[in-house]
Amino acid sequence: MEELTPKERVNRLFKREPIDTMPCFSGMGMVTIQVINEMGIRFPEVHTSAEYLARSAVLTAEMFGFDAAIIPYDMGTVPEAMGRGISLYENSDDILYPTVPSKWATIDDVEIPEDFMSQGRMPLVDEAFELIKAQANGNLALGGWVLGPFTMAGQIVELDLFIKGVRKFKEKTEAFMEKMTDIVIKVAKNYEALGVDYMNIREMGTGSDLLSPKVWETLIGPNLKKIFNAIEIPVINHICGSTDLIIEMMNECGADAISVDQKNNLAESRKKLGNDVLLLGNFDPYGTLVTGDVSNVEPVIKKCIDDGADAVWPGCDIWPDAKKENVEAFVDTVRKYGKSASPAVGRL
Amino acid sequence: MEEARKKEILDKLAEAVVEFEEDMAREWAQTALDEGMEAFEAIMQGLAAGMETVGDLYDQQEYFVPELLMSADALYAGLDILKPHIREEDVKKMGQVVIGTVQGDVHDIGKNIIKLMFEVGGFEVHDLGRDVPLEKFVEEQLKTDAEIVAMSAMMTTTMTGMKKVIAMIKEKNPNVAIMLGGAPVTQDVADLFGADGYAASAGNAVQEAIKMISNLRKLQGKA
Repeated sequence: MEELTPKERVNRLFKREPIDTMPCFSGMGMVTIQVINEMGIRFPEVHTSAEYLARSAVLTAEMFGFDAAIIPYDMGTVPEAMGRGISLYENSDDILYPTVPSKWATIDDVEIPEDFMSQGRMPLVDEAFELIKAQANGNLALGGWVLGPFTMAGQIVELDLFIKGVRKFKEKTEAFMEKMTDIVIKVAKNYEALGVDYMNIREMGTGSDLLSPKVWETLIGPNLKKIFNAIEIPVINHICGSTDLIIEMMNECGADAISVDQKNNLAESRKKLGNDVLLLGNFDPYGTLVTGDVSNVEPVIKKCIDDGADAVWPGCDIWPDAKKENVEAFVDTVRKYGKSASPAVGRL
Repeated sequence: MEEARKKEILDKLAEAVVEFEEDMAREWAQTALDEGMEAFEAIMQGLAAGMETVGDLYDQQEYFVPELLMSADALYAGLDILKPHIREEDVKKMGQVVIGTVQGDVHDIGKNIIKLMFEVGGFEVHDLGRDVPLEKFVEEQLKTDAEIVAMSAMMTTTMTGMKKVIAMIKEKNPNVAIMLGGAPVTQDVADLFGADGYAASAGNAVQEAIKMISNLRKLQGKA
């Protein structure tokens, strides 16, 4: 059997071409505290240095045998570049991702600087992508991600007003969503040009815990479709929370793969969508890798494969405080049970 | 006031909340006062009853967050008119609650809805806002001697902070009831963190809070 490099494995998976074994990777944050400690830095420092960002992503992949490195780790890079500032929690002993400290009050107040792509940490992230490419030496796949337009809007405008606007000021909200969509495309295209292998669009705040399937169909779906059309590299449609009611609509948006979290009934989704669709998911990374016992990891991961995942993805970021032995068991289980073909991807 | 008229006014107040009609809520709140209905009754049996229906509709996936928020606006519209008229003896102090979204989390929609439900339910609410440093919860509880501390996290990544706060508060004052909420919080997580209550949705948060406080009173021999 021919053995593929991690990069080849991931790229072939997205093309639904036969692979040697299931890749183990993610489209969300994957940096662990073991790596941060090994680098001798504090967690808040990793977000403000291209060198640290790149090194930590590559080291995490190497430490656990992941097939990809992915950056950045926090959702604040784009809002920060738009002038909303950033809270780094430099004095906290806890592991906290940076957040956006202030938002525009209403969508009428929003003024996005023309040059936001060169502001804040945007150039730093660009540089980190270049560094990862150099450090990974063509071996690891390189992943990038951008928030979806609705979730992005929620990072820069007071969310309750924006969400009410979905019903109260429909036209205005739709126009703003188009504006956000253009921003998402701009950022994603930049990462694409930098040589990223796959792009995850995380439209996290649009599950059916928050929005009705009807609003999803009219407001979210069309904008995602536009984004997926604009991106040429493999692109993933990721939504967390309740997705059982919208999984078919997600599939109609034209992404190369769909990613859902543990609230989705994956076996049912597989039945609904058939075997040609790339499905990624869907274990609870916190319960499985942070709080759960290591003996519980294998059955959880195996269930994702049995339910029809083409690659086992965590439903969210692998929380940095994950137990080393649990993450190792995650990777081992994927290797152990990932030898046989998955519904959408054959084996060499 | 005739029973039939009373029922009509209460139904209209509830309907205004369920149908997101702010003007209607204001009008019927004024009508309630003009016709001599007790403000507290109009709030509890009218507006709050409507919000309870909204909570049910949310649980049944008929309503979603935009609808919850619009209902909350209608409820506030009626509450603003009725609240100044609540009689002193009707202000039955349910207790005090310290509420906030934990550090690292800037999402506060769920927290704001729960806060409103506490207010309607007659609690005195100390709102710490969002992205609240953990020790602030502890300080505020000590300062106010609140019976309940309610914390919300929208993201898995900030949930761990809750565990620390619970330990810090329980160490100083084991009788404080801790209530957790937010999308990633499950009953398992609440148990594991040592919380006393857990609300899966805004709809059942207040019921949960009332249940908790009555247990607390029993514990303290006040029941």
